[in-house]
Amino acid sequence: MRFAALLDGTVATAAVQAQALAGFLGDGLRGDLAGETFVLYCDERDRERLVDLAPTRDVRLVKTAARRPERMFDCLTAAARGGDTALFLAAAGATGTEIVTRLACRAGGGVLTDALTIEARPQRLVCRKNVYSNHLVGRFELRARPWCVTVDACWNDTRRSPSPSHTILSESDESGDAGRPGATTDTRATGATGAAPFADAELLEAPSSGDLAKSRFLVVAGYGAASREGTERIADAARRMGADFGVSRPVAMNAWAPMDRLMGVSGTRAAPALCIVAGASGAPALYWGIEKAGLIVAVNPDERAPIVANSDAALLDDAVAVLEELAEIVAGRRTHE
Amino acid sequence: MSAVRVLVCFKVTPDFEALREADWAAAATQGVQTRYVRRVLNCFDESALELALGLSDAAARLGVTVELGALSIGGREVDPYLKTLVALGYERAARVAAGADGDIADTDAAGVGVGAAAGAAGVDGAGLDRAASGLDFAPAVVASIIASYVLRADHSDLLVLGCRSGPGDGGTVPFRVAEALGWPCLTRVTSIEPLGDGRLRVGAMVDDGLLRVTLRPPCVLAVGNALVSHLRAPTLKDRLERRERRIDVLAAADLGLDIAAELRREACVPTALETIDRRRRGAVIAGATPRDKARTLFDSYLSDLIETL
Amino acid sequence: MHLSREAIVEGLQRIVGPADVITDRRILVESSVDNFRKLQNIFDVHTMPVPAAIVMARSTEQVAAILRFAGEHTINVIPRTGGTATEGGLESAVPDSIIIDGSAMNRIVDIDAYDMQATCQCGVPLQALEDRVRELGLTTGHSPQSKPVAHMGGLVATRSIGQFSTLYGGIEDMVVGLEAVFPGGIVTRIKNVPRRAAGPDIRHVVIGNEGALCFITEVTVKLFPYFPENNVFLGYTLKDMKTGFEVLRAVMVNGYKPSVARVYDPGDAGLHFSHFAADDDCVLLFMAEGPAGIAKATADGIAAIVAGFAECTRVDSAYIETWFNDLCWGPDKITAEDERIRQTLNVNRTTEISADWSSINDIYQAARARIIAEIPDITMMGGHSSHSYINGTNMYFNYFFNVVGVGPEEETAKYYLPIIGIICEETLKRGGSIVHHHGMGKARAPWVRDEYGSSYYILETLKHAFDPEGIMNKGTIFPL
Repeated sequence: MRFAALLDGTVATAAVQAQALAGFLGDGLRGDLAGETFVLYCDERDRERLVDLAPTRDVRLVKTAARRPERMFDCLTAAARGGDTALFLAAAGATGTEIVTRLACRAGGGVLTDALTIEARPQRLVCRKNVYSNHLVGRFELRARPWCVTVDACWNDTRRSPSPSHTILSESDESGDAGRPGATTDTRATGATGAAPFADAELLEAPSSGDLAKSRFLVVAGYGAASREGTERIADAARRMGADFGVSRPVAMNAWAPMDRLMGVSGTRAAPALCIVAGASGAPALYWGIEKAGLIVAVNPDERAPIVANSDAALLDDAVAVLEELAEIVAGRRTHE
Repeated sequence: MSAVRVLVCFKVTPDFEALREADWAAAATQGVQTRYVRRVLNCFDESALELALGLSDAAARLGVTVELGALSIGGREVDPYLKTLVALGYERAARVAAGADGDIADTDAAGVGVGAAAGAAGVDGAGLDRAASGLDFAPAVVASIIASYVLRADHSDLLVLGCRSGPGDGGTVPFRVAEALGWPCLTRVTSIEPLGDGRLRVGAMVDDGLLRVTLRPPCVLAVGNALVSHLRAPTLKDRLERRERRIDVLAAADLGLDIAAELRREACVPTALETIDRRRRGAVIAGATPRDKARTLFDSYLSDLIETL
Repeated sequence: MHLSREAIVEGLQRIVGPADVITDRRILVESSVDNFRKLQNIFDVHTMPVPAAIVMARSTEQVAAILRFAGEHTINVIPRTGGTATEGGLESAVPDSIIIDGSAMNRIVDIDAYDMQATCQCGVPLQALEDRVRELGLTTGHSPQSKPVAHMGGLVATRSIGQFSTLYGGIEDMVVGLEAVFPGGIVTRIKNVPRRAAGPDIRHVVIGNEGALCFITEVTVKLFPYFPENNVFLGYTLKDMKTGFEVLRAVMVNGYKPSVARVYDPGDAGLHFSHFAADDDCVLLFMAEGPAGIAKATADGIAAIVAGFAECTRVDSAYIETWFNDLCWGPDKITAEDERIRQTLNVNRTTEISADWSSINDIYQAARARIIAEIPDITMMGGHSSHSYINGTNMYFNYFFNVVGVGPEEETAKYYLPIIGIICEETLKRGGSIVHHHGMGKARAPWVRDEYGSSYYILETLKHAFDPEGIMNKGTIFPL
């Protein structure tokens, strides 16, 4: 059986995707599979860098329009229908979800998003993924092929290094509105490919959550911060310690911090070496964002908060007070050096 | 200028936050028992419903008419929400009473059972009590109901819905519907504004930042972590004035669908649930003051580690 | 000659040291109000006089010294512990007040599992006490919705009541003795005994004084054996609140002591029970607890009584048990509710009254009808009865309105106070009490003379006798 990894190089998260795919191919995937990578790109200048990121030796290059995922499918659909590729893999995320879902719809396959592990068997793909907002893990079977799966983006611990050299098997250009080569157009999809609805898409200057996904040292504030001011004081303490700053959902929904700081099921998932959870109870939905951390420190006055048992070390105290003291100690150490 | 016909799809779910540790611990063998917990709006769908009302308000100020409709799949527990939406100005309100045996939610079964015998080979849907789970893990079926409703009954040209919902947390329904309708889809939407010429200005938090897009319906907008997260409340007077408005209750057959057959075709089948052990050492660091505790933490755990970061 | 704010701060610093006198402007402004002005708090709009200082008291002696200082200079003081008041009791009604905060006096002094009583300082959170005694297989029997955040001193001062009151009583039935400091710094201790007939029961001068007479520094409460494994839940749907009140009455007058006995009207039931009740259903529910035989007999007896009311349809008890397990409000739920209000301007308020069985339904119906007719922008007008007695019950009005056309600072004047007014009028007209358990605060103080009638003489005399300078929580219970 063969798999195809999908690397979306039209967005800025290609390196994170590549890391996730490489990690997953090393540790998350079981079964006798060989594969190649479809590298989607829109700018010639990114080409070499993206090829270098590919998690497999064999690469197929597809040039496509930026932020038009519905354009990416013709060659993928052709591959899915024509070849012996049983499994398509993309990294978890908004574009990954769109690619695998649309691909499965067009090729008549099955979809699963955010898989933790997958195991390829002759007639089915056995997958595990978190369900019920990370309260449980569910086991699923994908029956119809091709199996289209996004993989958990959090494989920082034992990642396989990308292949040193790559072989480009094919190149195609689907960036234009017309003349898509090799396309087997699905009639149902003509509305999507015919219209130009996102013509003036514009990526605003906004702090990206990409820094959180890659963070080595993370401070996460919960509602124990108690106010916008408390949240800002924890954020400031994080900055003085050289840590990245994330928040729980209640903090983000209260606009005590920008929404792109959100950690957990509906935000970012990271695997920092050190994570200090300041004033969050550690509900499963948040814990999803930090559970891969090397060392978890909890700061919470309530010893019954789940985060205390689910941490390596716990300080039963006010989050703001402890973080400010800790920032002083850490900053002092750094100045001293 | 012609009116924009908007359909918002929403899901009424058990309040999973009301379940206790013991309930989750029992889930691997007994399934997740949600029958007894109160119902809430899926949080992303609540944002979608309020964003659509805000779109309607803003469009009215520009002289553009936005006709709002709401659709949900489920049993009678959905009706109070539909009545509320009607009172708030949703002109169309519909519920598709769909499930494995025609109208499962009305048969009083809302728990999800994934049996211990899960994975028993060969049997379609082995281990999952479909009659009890409804459409919780059947995104393809949900999408085909929504798409059929749009094509056969509602003829809407802007579809707004939450980007994901529990228990599956898959996030695929918006794209499946978009595929079925042949529409583009934008996900993780956080704002929707009318431009007055039939186009919309939409904000979305994509993987690499905040995207702002101008688009012209038809399209699917899947709402994510919007700061607008709570639905407004209608007054008793609003309710009284619109109490005669009809809520359409449709069977799947009305949309030309056979749910049991659709479920058998579902390509991704849940077979078992596992509990998660998250416990770590949980060593409590003692100290008289926050400063003492911070110092002990630093000396015992952080001083070397922090050098490597 | 009144002291300046600076002089007040200096005087307090001399008593407790500089570290325990809070003068941070932001904290003072936030402390000028309680949840009575919750919409203003959510929008950070503050209109009340800013207190001169918050003083963190750490001992009874410090409280005495602070009260002497305040008395000498006629400075208004506002006693406070957990700060969860809802009726304006913690508002600073006059400029340059001192807030005496007892939350640092948080030591559990003694838990006596033989004499079945626990003594704790005023700043002990009820949850902390309950958790400790649960480890011994005991309970305080006190469980107000504010349990996760309220402190013992404030619970006694506001005469609070909990969800299990029908069995265990209100806080007044639990307090066996206490320590309080009166103006002039006079420290008084009422000893802990099972009962006394040595004259009037002076505990009741202190319990429910709302900081208008004294500062409570320590309380001793009863303990009870805890048998959660024996709990039995019963739930019913029905169409008419009048029937619901009749069922509650039948249960009480037949001598049953469920820990919980409630009836919800359709509006209020819709907030909690829409997964099993139709939108025009009332919901009736009970919990029986105690030793196994008693719990079972209580539940069986109640079920037999309800069976005599054909209108009541039994529902699966697990609905009630599941609901009950998620009833208390911690800081996370309060934060989420504040955010809902901020976004929607849809405000939730409550007002609780009590009356005898003959009057309660009339009060409920009349107040509800008038509020819907007279107050604009109401989105829900409902309520429930949750605390029953042999001679009557309470009504907990629960209502929501959209704030339209006015700023947050006008919400109380346009909506909340007129609604309170209607409820008080309809209650007084029929001989009920305008406050069942939240306290008078400043919100209902204008009705105090009507509430008391000729007995106001006793109340007023207490105030004059114990607080002749009028320094204790001006505007609370006694209107300015």
